[in-house]
Amino acid sequence: MATAHVEQLSGRRVWDADGKVVGRIGAIVARRRGRDYFVDEFHLGPAALMERFGISTARIVGWKRHHREPLRVPWQQLDLSDPDHPRLRCTREELMKMQ
Amino acid sequence: MKERLDVIRDLLDRQLVDSDETKMGRVDGIVLDIDGDGPPRIDHFELGFAVLARRIHPRIERWLNAIRARWSVRRSARQIVPWAKVVDVTAYEIKVDLKAIDTPAFDWERWLRDHIVAKIPGAGGE
Amino acid sequence: MKKAMTLALGILTSVGGFFDVGNIATCTQAGARFRFQLIWAMLLATIVVIFLIEMSGRFAAVTNKALPDAIREHFGFTFWLVPFAILTVIHILVLGAEIGGVCFALHLVTGLPLQVWALPVAVLLWLFLWRSTFSAIENSTSLLGLITLCFVVAAVWHRPPLHDLLRGSLPSLPSQHPANYWFIAVSIVGAVIAPYLFYFYSSGAVEDEWDASYIPVNRAVSVIGMAFGSVISIGAIIVAGVVLAPRGIHVDDYHQAALMLTSAFPFWGYVLFAVSMGIACLGAAVEVALSMSYTFAQTFGWNWGEDLAPDEDARFCLVYTAALLVGSLFMLVGMDPLQLTMITMALSAAALPFVAIPMLLLMNDRKLLHDAANGAISNVAAAAIVVLTLVLAVVSIPLAVVGGS
Repeated sequence: MATAHVEQLSGRRVWDADGKVVGRIGAIVARRRGRDYFVDEFHLGPAALMERFGISTARIVGWKRHHREPLRVPWQQLDLSDPDHPRLRCTREELMKMQ
Repeated sequence: MKERLDVIRDLLDRQLVDSDETKMGRVDGIVLDIDGDGPPRIDHFELGFAVLARRIHPRIERWLNAIRARWSVRRSARQIVPWAKVVDVTAYEIKVDLKAIDTPAFDWERWLRDHIVAKIPGAGGE
Repeated sequence: MKKAMTLALGILTSVGGFFDVGNIATCTQAGARFRFQLIWAMLLATIVVIFLIEMSGRFAAVTNKALPDAIREHFGFTFWLVPFAILTVIHILVLGAEIGGVCFALHLVTGLPLQVWALPVAVLLWLFLWRSTFSAIENSTSLLGLITLCFVVAAVWHRPPLHDLLRGSLPSLPSQHPANYWFIAVSIVGAVIAPYLFYFYSSGAVEDEWDASYIPVNRAVSVIGMAFGSVISIGAIIVAGVVLAPRGIHVDDYHQAALMLTSAFPFWGYVLFAVSMGIACLGAAVEVALSMSYTFAQTFGWNWGEDLAPDEDARFCLVYTAALLVGSLFMLVGMDPLQLTMITMALSAAALPFVAIPMLLLMNDRKLLHDAANGAISNVAAAAIVVLTLVLAVVSIPLAVVGGS
């Protein structure tokens, strides 16, 4: 049984298929099917971190800026065979097109 | 339970409570089952100092295991709570269908209670 | 009706938490060396602590979680680990200093050396924690703590020139010994804004089962309670300024401070000082020890609560037991209590960003707090507080080296 530890994935940097850095894992969204939950997508980047903390520095300072969307990675696109180095199966550009 | 949840925000580091509303530790780790072609599935929670130690650095975990082997009261360094045992995930805590006192999470609590606390007068409350 | 009781008790508890060994040490030194010139530091610290206490209470009321609980849960274990470790060390130092205060008070009254009292005091504190409930602790330490009002009475009796008091309420530069002046200013802030205060207060709110309807009460308690404690502390500065400064007594030792009430209370002054110090430090020691237990138990998810009988939360009790043992070591080995206090206040001031920054982030989480999240005013205050704590973190240790005596 291949496994991955969520606490190791949290905050881990993700590379794309070309070896370029894409961003850090900020959220792992799972969807219910019966009694089980299956991972739907991974969210990368600073917006994902802010999503986790429910804040934005902009709001603290007082002005409401354009709310940035996190980078969404469908579960199929993330290769977790090496848990310390999660890699995208596609390139960063291809991922952007999927947003 | 909700349709969608964020595994990191809604489950990791959350307080676990048993069927009697007793606190039984936190979700120190979550293991996903990656089964070939399908999406990763939430398999079980992990509890314990060893799990926390590994989050800081793997070397600390090894060092901790060496100490535990010699001194620990606990049956195992890592406790597992299968996902099937989860009853509800609320904003405050995660309810599980277990009795805390039976689980390894409570080994230290039980040992202290039986060997030290029980011997001191006034431990039972009024 | 219950809310009115909560208000009364909350105010008294704030008094107990505010005026402790740190305040006694820093305020008597401030008054003795710089007369009324450092009152502004106390006022600034009071305003800051009012905001932070209000936030702690509001957070606990709405989320039903205490701060350490929420911080681990929200930011994750690895983020929390460093602040947790640092604050644990500071907790133990503060506990040592408070125990030192009680030992000194007993020494004043009995003449026996401080070392003799270290373990008895630790045992007394332990018994108190072992047997009491949270409200019993709240009530008793608060009511007894009212004796510290003698500093206010003495301050009024001395009739200090109002003009000088007002001048001291505004920041000014010292005419001599600037390093020491700023060191004491920083230490006053470090003594008032003690980390254990917020963890204790938010945990207490959870123990007392506050809900969102307690937000107005919480606001009143924060302002009135902290102001009350502040008035007592300023009373101590004034008395020290009037009695000790003209005589050139610099409070290099707690013995020198013990004389300060003897002008206003010729016969009882010495005893009043001892009793006030003893009770204030006892109450604070209880709060610090509990704060440590709360922090550990909430971090690791153990069962916790002073209202629980010990056989229901053995690990929670183990923490305060171990803390008291370690805390008593400082006096046992003969360390000077005043020195320990001043070092601890400087370190505590340096660690404040670890307390303020997570709090600021938490108070802005609308998913957690909904409408009760920080508004613009609270955020401006919180941001200013974070900046202040960062400045303090940078200057406090260098100042302790250069300006400490």
